[in-house]
Formats: sequence, C-alpha cells, structure tokens
Amino acid sequence: MAQPSRQERFLSLLDEHKKILYKVSASYSRNLADRQDLAQEITAQLWRSFDRYDAGYAFSTWMYRIALNVAISFYRSESRRSRNTVPAGESILEIADERGAAETDDLLLLHTLIDQLDELDRALVILYLDGNRYDTIAEILGISETNVGTKLNRIKQKLRRDAARTV
Amino acid sequence: MDIDDLKQRWDDQDRKLDTLIRLNTRLLQEPVLNKAATAMTRLSWLMLPEMILNLLVCGWLGSFIADHLHQARFVIPAVALDLGSLALLIAGIRQWATIWSLDYSAPIVEIQKRLGNLKVQRVRVTKLVFLTAPLVWTPMLIVGLKGFLHLDAYRMFSLSWLAANLAVGIAVIPLAVWIARRTADRMQHSPLIQTLLRDIAGYNLTAALGFVGTLAEFEKE
Repeated sequence: MAQPSRQERFLSLLDEHKKILYKVSASYSRNLADRQDLAQEITAQLWRSFDRYDAGYAFSTWMYRIALNVAISFYRSESRRSRNTVPAGESILEIADERGAAETDDLLLLHTLIDQLDELDRALVILYLDGNRYDTIAEILGISETNVGTKLNRIKQKLRRDAARTV
Repeated sequence: MDIDDLKQRWDDQDRKLDTLIRLNTRLLQEPVLNKAATAMTRLSWLMLPEMILNLLVCGWLGSFIADHLHQARFVIPAVALDLGSLALLIAGIRQWATIWSLDYSAPIVEIQKRLGNLKVQRVRVTKLVFLTAPLVWTPMLIVGLKGFLHLDAYRMFSLSWLAANLAVGIAVIPLAVWIARRTADRMQHSPLIQTLLRDIAGYNLTAALGFVGTLAEFEKE
C-alpha cells in the first residue's frame, strides 16, 4: 500500500484536530476577518513546521504550541490585514451551520470573561478548558506544573469576581 | 459562577464543532500551502532590501575612505557614516538569523521571549535611525558631494553653515519625539505611519519591554 504523501498526512492530522484551530483563532481575534486571517496564519506556520514534527509525540501538543505562539504574536501585532494568497470570501475553516455554532448565554459570558485575560493567561485557560492535564499544559507553555496550578487558581478567582460583577 | 461550571458548556460546544466545522481542502492544496507566507517570512523579505542597501553603502563608503585617506575632513564624516551603516547591517543580520531560527513548536514562553526581544531590538533600531537622521544629513552632504560630484562642501558652504546644520539636527530630535507623541494616536487610518510614529515616540518600545516583563512574571512560581 502506497505511503500517504506529506500533504495527505498533514491534512489528515489537521482535520482530526481542526477544533484546536477554530478555538485558538476564535479566542485571539476581535472580529471575523481577524479570525480568518489568524486561521490562515496558523495553518501556514503548521505546514512550514510539519517536516520537524516528530510522530512519536502527540500532534495536539505540537499543534497547540504552534497555534498559540502564532495567535499571541498576531494578537499583539499593531496591524492586522488580510495578507495571504487566499481569495476574498474564502476561509481555511468553514462553518456548516452558523446557528448551530452560535453560543449560548453561558458560553458568551465565558468568552467575555476569557477576553479580559491577557494573552498568556488566555492560553492557559483554553488549554485547561480543553481538558489538558497540568503536565501537558506546563509542557506547552514552558512553565512548571506547580506554576500552572497556582495560576489557574488565581485566574478562577479573578473570573469568579468578574462574573459576579457582570451578572 | 465558576469556570468549572462553564466547562460543561465548553465541552458541549466542543462536541458540536465536530460536525459544524470543516476544512476548506481547496485552500489546503500543496501549491497554495507552499505559497502562503507567515508574518515572520514576510518580515524577513522586507528586511532583505534594507540589508542589501546597508551592505552596498558600507562597501561604497569603504572605497571612499580608501580614496581620501589623507583628507581628514572627508574621512571623519565617512567613517562616522560607515560605522553607522555597519551597525545597522550587523543588527539586521542578527535579527534575520533570529527570525529564521525560530521554531514555533517550542514552548510558548521560550518563543514569546525571543519574539519579544526581537521586537525590542527592531523598535530601538527604528527609533535610533529616525532620530539620528537629522544628524546624518550634514556628513552625507559632505561625503555625497565629494564622492559623486567631486565637489568640496567645505568650499561650497562655510564651516559655520555646516555647523549650524548639525546644530539644527540636534535640536530637531526632541522636537521630533514631541510631534510623534502628539500625533501617533491620530494616525489610525494609516497603520504603517502610526507604527513609525509610535516607534519614535517610544510607545512601542515601552509596550515591547512591558511584554518581556510580563513573560518574566508569568514564568515565576
């Protein structure tokens, strides 16, 4: 049986983990145009780095690191313009049902609260909400496991206070 | 309301996303992927003409200095300009090397520190170049007139005129910073000019240093 090509392997892994692409680009963008730009930027960087991906490690961990590094840089950049070769009106990620993807009030509140966090705390919360273990979060962020726990507790207290003010 | 309470909603949406989102495979064909540029590759292409220009300027100035070795009035401004161009060239090469060595799959704090330090360097260089531009004008005039037109600026213009130009250049620097601080926030319709003004005003350097500090805090237990 013929070995899948580099592109086929990349697409297969990207498809399996497309939710990471969606959630990171949605969490670090201020509007739809930014979200589409960011998704393209992340995909471009994933493709460029794919030759260095070691299949012995979890693809999700590798993808989270690249996606979050690109997203944090994108978010901090002064100018965000649609720059890539993708035709206008197209996007790497397509939403099949906008109504189905619409957020409930609770999710909107959660995203509002997450938006108030700085870029680094935001990454930590996304990784936590996605069910990653503390050691995985520590590995992705490059901090200690103890530090992850301490920071998460502080963030939870902050979000609890902010939620009480919002409700 | 606790984040752990909301986690259930996050998980519910996560399950929905499985069926709601799909990849646009037309845009993920290899030729399209290979053409797609990232922010860092675009930055490195923009830096290339600047580095080539600095290299050519260094080379030309080196040749000028060699041709006028016994004429201190031309050598001194030429050496000053050459050292400046050389410093810019070295800074450019170091930044370019940093960009191409970045591995985005490295841990977040590590990469963001490198990007933060790169940003600090770039903003410092931009600020220095634009603020010292009024000072460079006088030596450029002296060296340019002699090098391209074989004219002696010291004979064409009086020494006091040249000195006055240099003095005006020095005086313009704080004025340029003041103008940049007053106008930076009004240039939202032109992101490039706004970025330049914010660089000159020092706002971008403060922000970049602030982020590097935030990263250091984030790493602490």
